[in-house]
This record gives sequence, C-alpha cells and structure tokens, in this order.
Amino acid sequence: MTTFMHRLASVLRWLLQRNRAEQQLDDELQTFIEMSSAKKMRDGVPAAEARRLAILELGGIEQVKERVRTYRHGALLDDVGRDVRYAIRMFARDPGFTVVIVLTLALGIGANTAIFTLIDALMLRWLPVPNPQHLIQVKFRPADGIEFAESLSYPIVRALADQHEIFAGVAGFSSNAFDVGSPGNVKRVPAAVVTGEYYETLGLNPAIGRLLTRDDDVRGAPVAAVISYGYWQRQFAASPAAVGQALLINGLPAVIVGVSPGGFVGTDVGSVADITVPVAALPQIKPDAASLLGSGNFWLRVIARLQTGVSVSEAETRLRVVWPLISEPVIAPHWPASRRKPMLNAAFQLSRGGTGWTYLREMYTRPLLVLMAMVAVVLLIACANVTTLLLARASARQREVAVRLSIGASRGRIIQQLLIEGTLLSLLAAVCGIGVAWLSSRFLVNLISTGPARVVLDLTPNWHILGFTGLVAIATGIFFGVTPALQSTSAAPSLALREDNRISSSRSRLLPSLVTAQVALSLVLLVGAGLFVRTLQNLQNFDPGFRSDGVLLVDLGPQPTALLQQLLNDIRTVRGVVSASVSTHTPLSGSIWSEPAVPAGQPIPERDTAVFVGAGSHFFATMQIPLLSGREFTEYDSPNTAAVAIVNEQFAHQYFSGQNPLGRQLSAKIGGRKRDLEVVGLVKNTNAVGLRKAPPRTVYVPYAQLTGTDFPVYPTLEIRAAGSPGQAAFAVRRALQRRLPSATIDVRQFTTQVNATLVKERMMATLAGAFGLLAVVVACIGLYGLLAYSVARRTKEIGIRMALGAQRNQIIAHVLGSAIRLVLIGIGIGVPAAWLASRWVESMLFELKPTDPAAIAGAMVLLTTAALLAAYFPAQRAASVDPLVALRHE
Amino acid sequence: MDKLDIPQGTLDLMILTILAREPLHGYGISQKLAALSQDHFQVNPGSLFPCLYRLEQDGKLKAEWRPSENNRRAKYYRLTQAGKRQLEQHRERWERITFAITSVLEGA
Repeated sequence: MTTFMHRLASVLRWLLQRNRAEQQLDDELQTFIEMSSAKKMRDGVPAAEARRLAILELGGIEQVKERVRTYRHGALLDDVGRDVRYAIRMFARDPGFTVVIVLTLALGIGANTAIFTLIDALMLRWLPVPNPQHLIQVKFRPADGIEFAESLSYPIVRALADQHEIFAGVAGFSSNAFDVGSPGNVKRVPAAVVTGEYYETLGLNPAIGRLLTRDDDVRGAPVAAVISYGYWQRQFAASPAAVGQALLINGLPAVIVGVSPGGFVGTDVGSVADITVPVAALPQIKPDAASLLGSGNFWLRVIARLQTGVSVSEAETRLRVVWPLISEPVIAPHWPASRRKPMLNAAFQLSRGGTGWTYLREMYTRPLLVLMAMVAVVLLIACANVTTLLLARASARQREVAVRLSIGASRGRIIQQLLIEGTLLSLLAAVCGIGVAWLSSRFLVNLISTGPARVVLDLTPNWHILGFTGLVAIATGIFFGVTPALQSTSAAPSLALREDNRISSSRSRLLPSLVTAQVALSLVLLVGAGLFVRTLQNLQNFDPGFRSDGVLLVDLGPQPTALLQQLLNDIRTVRGVVSASVSTHTPLSGSIWSEPAVPAGQPIPERDTAVFVGAGSHFFATMQIPLLSGREFTEYDSPNTAAVAIVNEQFAHQYFSGQNPLGRQLSAKIGGRKRDLEVVGLVKNTNAVGLRKAPPRTVYVPYAQLTGTDFPVYPTLEIRAAGSPGQAAFAVRRALQRRLPSATIDVRQFTTQVNATLVKERMMATLAGAFGLLAVVVACIGLYGLLAYSVARRTKEIGIRMALGAQRNQIIAHVLGSAIRLVLIGIGIGVPAAWLASRWVESMLFELKPTDPAAIAGAMVLLTTAALLAAYFPAQRAASVDPLVALRHE
Repeated sequence: MDKLDIPQGTLDLMILTILAREPLHGYGISQKLAALSQDHFQVNPGSLFPCLYRLEQDGKLKAEWRPSENNRRAKYYRLTQAGKRQLEQHRERWERITFAITSVLEGA
C-alpha cells in the first residue's frame, strides 16, 4: 500500500515538476561525467580525452536519460502528452495537409455515424421505461399461417391479459390520428389507441394526474385521454389545470386524466402519440372503426411482461396449454369452421420487445444494412487514401525519424508517436464526423418522412453512437497509422541520413496498390449506386395504368351524395379544371377495400376475392385509366337504377377467362349485403396497391350506389387540372370552403401520394449515389496525390528524358498511361467484386438484373473520366519540367 | 581483466548493501561496486541510473543534493526504513539461494 502511495506521489511529482526533474537528471549525469573524467585525469589521461572516454563509458547522455524516463512511473502518460504536443506542432506546420486528411476522414466517419445513428434509433434504442430488457413482444400464428403475425385482435389481447400466472401485464397498442379541436379550429393530432393495461405493463408513472387503467378500457365508460408531455407543454403550457379539461376528439369530448412522463412518446417507434385513449373508447370517437373491437380484426401490436420467475420458453409452453381452453370465445363466431380450426390450434411466439415496435423496421432493415456496408467501404477508401498521403509524407519525414533514431529514440517510441499522430487525426475527424452525422441523419429522417407517414426518431447522440464513433475513429487511426509508422522506422538510419532514394523501393509498390484498391472499391460503390438510381428511374418511368401528374386530391368526411354532386359541379367550373370525380379509394393511398365477388351462379366465397373501389362519373377519365370496352359510370347510375360494375382485366382474366365480360352478372357481398351487379365496362389494370406489386383483381362500383350499405364512406375528390397545380389547388380549396365552411380542406397532389410509395427507393438512389460520388472523389484525390508525389520524385529522370529529346506529349502520355494502368487493374478487380456484392441487393432492384450492363459501363466510364482528370494536373506539371533546372537539381 | 555480467535482479541488492553503510552519489556507487567486487563487476551507468530512480520512486531510497568530497554538488542516495526492510528481505533470500545452489553443487 505504501509502495502504491509512493508511486502515486512520484507520478504526481513527475507531472507537476517535470522540468525540475529533467534538470536534476541532467545535473546528476553531468556530475557523473565530471567525476569520472577527473579520476581519469588523475590517472594521467589528457582532459579532452578523459571527458570523451567518460561519456563513452556512460553510453551516451541522451540514451541514459531515455532509459531512466521509461523506468519512471507515469512515463507512459508523459510520453503520450509529449507526443500529442509534438503531433499538434506537426499539424500546425502543414495545415493544408492536415485539413485534407481530417476532412476526408470526417466524411467517412460522419457517413458511418449517420447511418449507425439511424440503425440505432430504429432498432437498438430501449424504450424509455423501467427495465425495458424484460419487455417481450407477443406474436401469433394460426395453424395454417406461414409466419408469426405481429398483430392480434382486441379479444385475444384481453384474454392474454387475464393469464396472470404467465404474464405480469399484457398491452395492445396501435397508432392512430384524431381531429382535435372545436369546429373551425381542427388539428390532426397523432395518437395511439391502447388496451387498459398499457401503462401498467410498461411500468410508467404519470407526470401529473393519472394514466389509463383497466377501468378506462370498458365499453360505455366515459372517454379518458392521456396526453404526452410534449403536447402538454405545447398546448397547455405545462399547466396542472390541463388535467380534468375536455379535449374535443373528432367532435367528442374526452377528459384529460393525466400526462405521460417526459421522454415517453409511445411504443410505436418513429411516430409520436400525443393523445392516448383506451381501445374501448374507439367506437365513440370513430364510429366507423367500431368493428375493430370485434374478434375478426387483427390490428393491435402486443407488448408484455412475464410474471417473475417465468422464462420465455416456459411462458410459450404454458400458452400452448392454456390457449385451447381460452380461445373458443375470442375467435370470430361468424367464421366458418375451416377458418376457426387453424385459429384454435394457433401458436404464440415471444420475442424481445424492449425496443418497441415499428413497421419501419421491416421496411428499412435491409436498406440500412446495405447502406451501412456502403459507408464502411467509403471509410475504407478514405483510410487507404489517408495512408497514401501519410506514406508520401513519411518519406519527407524519413530524415527526421532517422535523426531521432540515431540520437537514442527506440523504434517503439517512434512508432508509438506516429500512431498517436494517426489516432489524433482520426479523433479530430470523429469530432467533425459527429457534426456531419448530426446534420445528415436529420436529412435522412426527412427523406424517410416523405413516405406515407411522418417519422419522428430520437437522434440525439447516446453512448451507443459516441462509442461506435470512438471505436471507428481509433480503429481508423491505427489502420492508417501502422503502415507509414512501420515503413518509416524500418530503414537503417545511416541510409536515411544519406537520403538514399533506394530505400523507398518497397513503398513505391505499396502506394500504387493502395490506389488500385481505392479504384476497385469505388467501382463497387458506383455500380451499386447505378443499380439503385436505375431502379428508381424504372419505377418512375413505369406505367402503373393511371396518370398521377396534374391530379389533385381532397379527402373529405362522410358527405350526402347530393352535396358531393354540388361540390363536383362547383369544381368543374373552376378555371383550369379539366375533369373532376369522386371515389372511395385512390391508387397507392395505402388503404384498400376488398369484398367477395364472383360471376353469378357461383357460390359467394367466405374470403374476399377482389379489391373494390366506389367511383363516381368521369373517374376513369380523370385518372386516365383506359376504358377497354363498355362505358364509364355516369350521373345516371343512382340508387334507383340497376346496380352495375366495371371490372379490370385481371378480374376478367380470372373469372371470365379473358372473354368479354360486358353484360355478365356478378354476385358480390358489399358491406355484408348480397348484391347482384351487371358488368358494364372493362378497364385496364392499375398497380393500385404498390408499383412493385401485381395489379389486383378490381371491381369498380358506382359511388352513388353505395348508399344503403351500413358502413360510412369517406370520399376523396380527384381533380385533373391544367396549368400550375398550386393555383388550381388554391382555387379548388376556395370553391370547396364556400360550401364546407367548418371543414379543414387539404388539397394535395396525387404525385406526392405516388412518390411516397417510392421513398425507400429514392433514399437508396440518393444515398448510394452520394456515397458512390464521394468514393470516386476520394479515390481521385488518392490518385492525384500518388502521381504528384511520383512526378516530384522523378523530376530528375523526367529532365533527363526531355534532355534526350522526349516531347511534352510523350511525357503527358507517360504519366496518364501509368494512371490508366492503375485504373484498369482497379476496374479488373472491382467488376467481379461488384458482381458478387450486387447479388445481395437483387431483391431491392426493379426490372433490372444485378449485372445491368448500363450500370456497370456507366460506373467504368465515370471512374475512368474522373481518374484521367485527376491525373491530368500532375501530367501537366511533369511536362512543364525544365530539363536544365531539373538536371541541376540536387 | 574480463568483467562479469551482473546477474539479473542482484543489482538492487548490491546497491542497497552499499548504501546501507553510508550515503553515496551515482559515481561513488559505481566505484564502490567495482572495488568491493574486486573489479569483477563493472556497472553500466545506463543500468545504474534507471535502477536508482526506480528505488527512489518506490520509496526505498531518499536522495538529497549536497557538496561532494571535492566540493562538487552531487546527488547523494541513502536508505529509508523501507529500503532497510527491503535489504533484509533480499539478503535473506539471496543467502537461501546461494546456500541452496552450493548444496546442490557439493551434493553432486
């Protein structure tokens, strides 16, 4: 213990009195030399010779000092401090060089951190609840199902919540959005619908008031709402009086019972639930959604906590035993036996649920992993580039290193110092990189938010991200520090001091191979970028069977048919409007309606067989869906005329084997009621459920004939306008507002809705393109650096060539030739590598093979052009060498 | 005369022994070591000074600057209490080692 205290004290003393200690060591050694030489002089040696012998005997003053320093406690700390100061002086001496390196690395590290931030936010962050690691997600699979589904029905969640021997708590939740406020001042607020045990299962305590309980989740109970901490601050200025106030949700008063704790915004990662209500309140808030509470709808995601002492496998086993006993009442009674049986034999799967749930995960996991791989390659290229630059500079520092080696520094000390320089550079870059990541990850989330839903992710750097970036930076620093360090200390000092050029022969092989590696890697990235850009292009040029440009959409609440007709008539008189119609659904809106429909005479099946769309007159003209035969719906199709339908090719192909369906009868069930429809038209297929999905079998029915079905209909108006969409949108809104003074009217563009389905592809094309270009730029900087370095080193040789009669053009061709050789080798390695890598992303491509010749050729041409451009400047410099000056040089 | 290499780990013991009699400076220690070993050992200053510094930092030695016999300022090392204990331990161990080795050699 005392020894330890002594050591600690000596480290501290050393740190505090470093200069004094150094001075004393020097004094002590000088005294030694004086005493030793005095003795020799007494023995008769001349004074000068005595001193020389004494120093020789000592073994060199600096060498002894260095050995004493390494024995001293705290020496390592001291060395590091000295190396850091030395490195900073080196950086300051050559700021341009330092900035290029730090920027190159900052882009590489920043891109890595940005993508990792997104991966972290989407997949790795725990929910801000106590013991999130104990939360589990419950999945469900009917016996005839292929995979476990993440959604369960309300009755099943309630039944599971009663299994107290297995679960400490079971909570179902689903995201929603409510129109909140009084008429004229209505705002759409993101919300969640949850079962009664939600907050208890999560283990949350209210900021103020109380959270929802089981008693709130009872049909007929007064509607209770919990608001988020953020909503409380924004809307109620964090006033305690908010509790007890009534919110008008979809026109219905709901009492705010409490505020959820700060930081918690729901279990659906990527969306924020500002208002949370119990499932049982849904029929009052949204009458049309009442059926969700039934046993036939699977829409709640389920998170649970196990009872203490129950393991996951134990819980799964017990559920297998319990389920047959409790399942009978919670399975839809009106289902046929063929569908009930697999439900009775269903299985449950419990998996980790502490990171919440989000549809984004399924959608973006693969793209993000692909992007992570791409940025890792970008960083690899940046590292290779920095290694090249450092190696080139190492030759300039060869002399400095040789001097230090010869006056007593050990090789290890110098390697340590060079590694510290490298790590320092990469840590500097990491700091800048975190800034780059902070900005670009927000850009990424905005990019994703152009999709069907706004995405809100917590991107504040946490220890995952800082740790990740720190590790990446240190690994990077060692990666590009080691080679130059080993290189520059390997040569014998005597050779280096003579400035012998032969010693750099091994380096001259290493540098070109580093550049070749950069070329090969950037080719891989460019091919990837090309594939994603071409995929997006193919999707954008793809004919989905309708034309979205020039079409405006307006979503309305349920309206009487007569009023709708008036609204449409008003709109048709607006300047610039070409045609207008109404429908229940629009292509690619994300929601569909399906019903069973078959040719008359066949029994109506239990399961839905076709997508249904209620469409008004001029619908097909407005959407420009080609009518192949028969007629469109008109104003004369009304509840009082014969029920008619228009089918698409896919439906006709399936049920009329491609024969003309006009005049044939359909038996269908619409909203649970049997209907007979006469087919009056045939239209082309549309990719209405996704550009990459096959066109569904579709039956269109007249909008006006939907009255009498017992479900409410939310109409969307479609308006095709010529000229500026902005002006048309303004005029349409004004026309609508006149007849609907209290409604919020949001006129949006159909193209936005179509583009929203391409958000993943657009993200991949944008980012892969950006990373590909970044890689090319960095690789070209590497190539430029190498050529500039070799031209500078070979000035004399070039001078001799010119003196012997070489022309400028020949010199330029010579330098360009060596660049082309490097690039060709790089391409030779890169093309097979790209071919291997691109098979990994094959499923993400559209109407494209991974070996797409255009993408590969484009990448090769772009890379070669950029390389020639980078090589041109050093070539130019080589050609302008003055033979006289060059020969006199050295 | 050829010098012997100082066996690994014995320099500490010899330094402590020399300093147990009287405080000395670095040069004095090296001279004394040569004299006491009858010139069989010649300590290299490159090993001596790191060893002195380590012992000083571990609190076995204490150093002070004072005038030398011919009025030069020199750094004199002397043993601390901890140093004396260390010396006893080392010495005891060394005696056991030599006894053991001698026994082996003579028994053979």
